[in-house]
Amino acid sequence: MNRKRLDTFNLVFATLGGLVLLLPLMALFTKVPWATLVTRLTNGNAMAAIRLSLWSSLLATLICVILGVPLAWVLARGSRRFVNMVRPFVLAPIVLPPTVAGMSLLALLGRNGLIGRYIYDATGWSMPFTASAVVFTGVFVGMPFLVLVVESTFRHLPSDQEDAAEIDRATPFTLFRLIALPQSRNGIATGALLAWARALGEFGATMMFAGSLPGLTQTWPMQVYFETDQDMSTAYALSAVMAIVAVAVVFALRKQLRRAFTN
Amino acid sequence: MMPRARAFVTAVAVLSLIPTPSQASLHRNETVTLTVFAASSLGQTFAILGKAFEVKHPGVKVEFSFLASSTLATQILAGAPVDVFASASISEMARVKSLVPDMSIFAANRVILATPRDNKFHINKIVDLNKSGLKWIQCAHVVPCGVAADAALASEGRVSSKPVSLEPKVSSVVAKLVSREVDAAIIYHTDFIANRDVLKEIHFKDTAAAITRYPIGVVKTSAHQPLAKAFVATVLSAYGRKVLAEAGFLRTK
Repeated sequence: MNRKRLDTFNLVFATLGGLVLLLPLMALFTKVPWATLVTRLTNGNAMAAIRLSLWSSLLATLICVILGVPLAWVLARGSRRFVNMVRPFVLAPIVLPPTVAGMSLLALLGRNGLIGRYIYDATGWSMPFTASAVVFTGVFVGMPFLVLVVESTFRHLPSDQEDAAEIDRATPFTLFRLIALPQSRNGIATGALLAWARALGEFGATMMFAGSLPGLTQTWPMQVYFETDQDMSTAYALSAVMAIVAVAVVFALRKQLRRAFTN
Repeated sequence: MMPRARAFVTAVAVLSLIPTPSQASLHRNETVTLTVFAASSLGQTFAILGKAFEVKHPGVKVEFSFLASSTLATQILAGAPVDVFASASISEMARVKSLVPDMSIFAANRVILATPRDNKFHINKIVDLNKSGLKWIQCAHVVPCGVAADAALASEGRVSSKPVSLEPKVSSVVAKLVSREVDAAIIYHTDFIANRDVLKEIHFKDTAAAITRYPIGVVKTSAHQPLAKAFVATVLSAYGRKVLAEAGFLRTK
């Protein structure tokens, strides 16, 4: 790798761009009450909210991978007309504001929802205000990110191994499992990371669809929101820990990220 | 050298397009915007009062932010550009005392239990909240409607079930009740009045515990002091009290 020379224009604007991303995070850490951090996090509802956010976002990510990787594969393999028609709907939740995402989920699974009404009439159970609503929201907002990255990875796979496998009469599923999947590990990891980040950070749609009950549906971001009305220092403490988790995860997966984006 | 120079010129041109604050305010001088932060439960009445105020003061536009009083107080403490604050509880007004030194109580409200008229659980008294399978919600414990709900429930006793959600503001609670996502909710009497065609209300026995008072005041840092005071006067006027009373707010002395 030889170092390439850079021009002033890009250097100046890159510095400004970097500062826009870096300064808010740095400022956040100046507000954290380090001395009382542990007691603030272990008192009250904080730990329950952190636990809920972690397990629900990880479960959402797992579902995103199980459903999203095959979806990405179909999109990467489908006829151009089919893909051009379907892909906008698959990726739409990326563009939807969280409030609209929340309304959509209520419209489908609320007590008077398209499907929710029949489930409620038959069983007396409805998804809103349950932990499963938190997970479902995470899947809805997170999966498009996974599909976006993984589809692109599948499309850029080198074709030589696949051609060889086809000559050996491998079934389509064997081809997917033994050739495509192992070569796409970095892309899947990156897609899963983006989906997880989106699910973990979800706030608006979750509050509309799942409500907010400490211990059951009150997530980490919601806890921050309610804490700002009560105790700013605790809100800063909760925010800082989330920022640490975010940076740590991106740092841990830096190799996968680099490979997925340089493929 | 040439591309670099051109890039620099482009950058300067782009930056010079961003208006400086003084330029921006010069253009806005024709109409004055009065910003009012008001409790979520005041949404409908203050919208009426704001329209009336705009008619009486040509060239003035009243902008509202209707959120939980606790959320609004936090925003005011963080330096939100606001002229008037109307809170659904005295304690939230007390939090911003350094910025809103004077206040007048202009109304009171009481929380009640509301349920859709045709709800299958047939809720007729507060303890019916204990029925198994029933889902009910209230405001978060830090929000005035939640504080009043907690006090009313504690005084009532006997309710052992828990709400399925603690909502960020009363209007979210009302929306979920009216759309029948829940079977019952603790909301304000005024919210019931606004939706009485679809809801019925059940009162708490201890009406004093269920009451919250609404103070209003001018924010010290407001650049529109006379206008802000005029808006407060409109709310306190006979007309203001009439609009509030029609919506179901209780009169205060």
